[in-house]
Amino acid sequence: MSIQDDPVQREIHQDWANREYIEVITSSIKKIADFLNSFDMSCRSRLATLNEKLTALERRIEYIEARVSGFEGIHRKVLFT
Amino acid sequence: MPLVTRNIEPRYVCRQTIPNTIRSELECVTNISLANIIRQLGSLSKYAEDVFGELFVQAGVFAVRVNTLGERVDRLQVKVTQLDPKEEEVSLQAITQKKAFHSNLTQDQQLFCRPSLPLPVQETYLTCNPPPPLNNLSQYRDDGKDALKFYTDPSYFFDLWKEKMLQDTKDIMKERRKHRKEKKDNQNMRTLNPRKIKTRKDEWERLKMGEEFVVPKNDMGESLEGLNGSIGSGEGCYSPDGLDQSTGSYAFDPGSPLPPPAPDDFLPPPPPDMAYHDGQYGASTQKRTSVLSPTHPPPAPPMPSTAPIGTRPNLAPPPAPPPPPPSPGFGIPPPPPSGFDSSPPTPPSSSAYPSPPAPPPPSYQASISPPPPPSLPQGGGAPPPPPPPPPPGPPPPTSGPPPPSFSIEAPPPLKSTQAQPEAPADAHSDLLSAIRQGFNLRKVEEQKEQEKKDNYGNDVAAILSRRIAVECSDSEDDSSELGDDDWSE
Repeated sequence: MSIQDDPVQREIHQDWANREYIEVITSSIKKIADFLNSFDMSCRSRLATLNEKLTALERRIEYIEARVSGFEGIHRKVLFT
Repeated sequence: MPLVTRNIEPRYVCRQTIPNTIRSELECVTNISLANIIRQLGSLSKYAEDVFGELFVQAGVFAVRVNTLGERVDRLQVKVTQLDPKEEEVSLQAITQKKAFHSNLTQDQQLFCRPSLPLPVQETYLTCNPPPPLNNLSQYRDDGKDALKFYTDPSYFFDLWKEKMLQDTKDIMKERRKHRKEKKDNQNMRTLNPRKIKTRKDEWERLKMGEEFVVPKNDMGESLEGLNGSIGSGEGCYSPDGLDQSTGSYAFDPGSPLPPPAPDDFLPPPPPDMAYHDGQYGASTQKRTSVLSPTHPPPAPPMPSTAPIGTRPNLAPPPAPPPPPPSPGFGIPPPPPSGFDSSPPTPPSSSAYPSPPAPPPPSYQASISPPPPPSLPQGGGAPPPPPPPPPPGPPPPTSGPPPPSFSIEAPPPLKSTQAQPEAPADAHSDLLSAIRQGFNLRKVEEQKEQEKKDNYGNDVAAILSRRIAVECSDSEDDSSELGDDDWSE
């Protein structure tokens, strides 16, 4: 029995080994993709908070500049980007 | 359906058909799977680079902003140390007279437009089928519109909104003018109360005489007391007001239904266009037509003459806003028009009609090129069939697609038939010619207005939203001043 099954068994064993190898690789690919997604999300959220802080600071600075320089008739209209 | 931004290419590693000739199938599958894995790694690296690129760009922008902010802070620091409280002159007048601080508000616009799509999604869109090249047909259109806009118009909703905003601003401006006039009148003349009472009695007396005589006296009533509000005039004014605003007090006479529909047909093109379309394409979901549509459900042939008339008067005063609506986003005439036109006119005898009605209705919207008069079947005014068709200007929107009474002539011979019916209708010819001339004048004016507004262009979406802010501010005087500033820009 073992002699007859050797070639087939060997093949099947080999196949199993190959499949396990492939499975390891694909699961690591999935981990990389997952990491990329979560990195992207967290980066965007941090950049967004940064953006908020920056805009708040910018507005405060504008106000302070206007006060320091004595409100030189500043009547700016609403700008749209 | 949410779209995946980045799709890694070979989704299924092992799914592939194996050629029959190979003996060692298991090894074949293994090798194929490994090859697919390598492809997946390739696409993964490409997307990773994309992701990091986007983040990098954003971070770079923020870095620039932070640097500028830092510089400003430094400058301010220096300036503050130079401040000397004794030097400054603080006068009470300066505090009150000087304008308050207005900060530059930069609002983000055009956030979700095509160019702002992330790259991978744009590539996904590129793999899709493009819309059919219908624009090749636009050279054959008489009204000069893009043929593709009937099929798919990306700017449709924006144009809708823009028209609505313009309309709202104008309406509000007019209301304010009316209120101002009323206030002035109230201030000037304080004998109004007795007048109001008298008008009611007068109206009852008029009604005693017969409703036929109500019309001319309504004019009088309106001119005298229209400013006082629509109490006196409101009763006599039969105007199927689709408009929510108090446009009933407009000078235009709802009594005009009495004369044949001919004069009404020559009202400024845009309002009739709107009315026309509303009447015909009632199924269309345009919100702009909410201004008009309630008044016209797709009317039967005889009805349209009266129904649109009522609404048109209201639209006659503001001819300007309607012009932009017809010319830009012509969402109105998308697919339904052709379908609609074909279905209602089927009752009429001639089968040749469905085709001509289809082009004419959308054609005169633009009021740019004289719509083919012959193709205008007008069944609305049965007695004066000739007057409606001949108008080079906007054909009678009233009659529109269901022109049963006119269904006799085919389109080409229509011109000749127009000449024939015109002969008998001499009484209206003078009116017609006069109105046509007036019409042409209006056309030019409207074109100019349209061009001006087009030049403002879509850059001024911001101004539009600002005007709404102006509308929201209910204080009349202040807002009127601001409004003048805006208008004078």
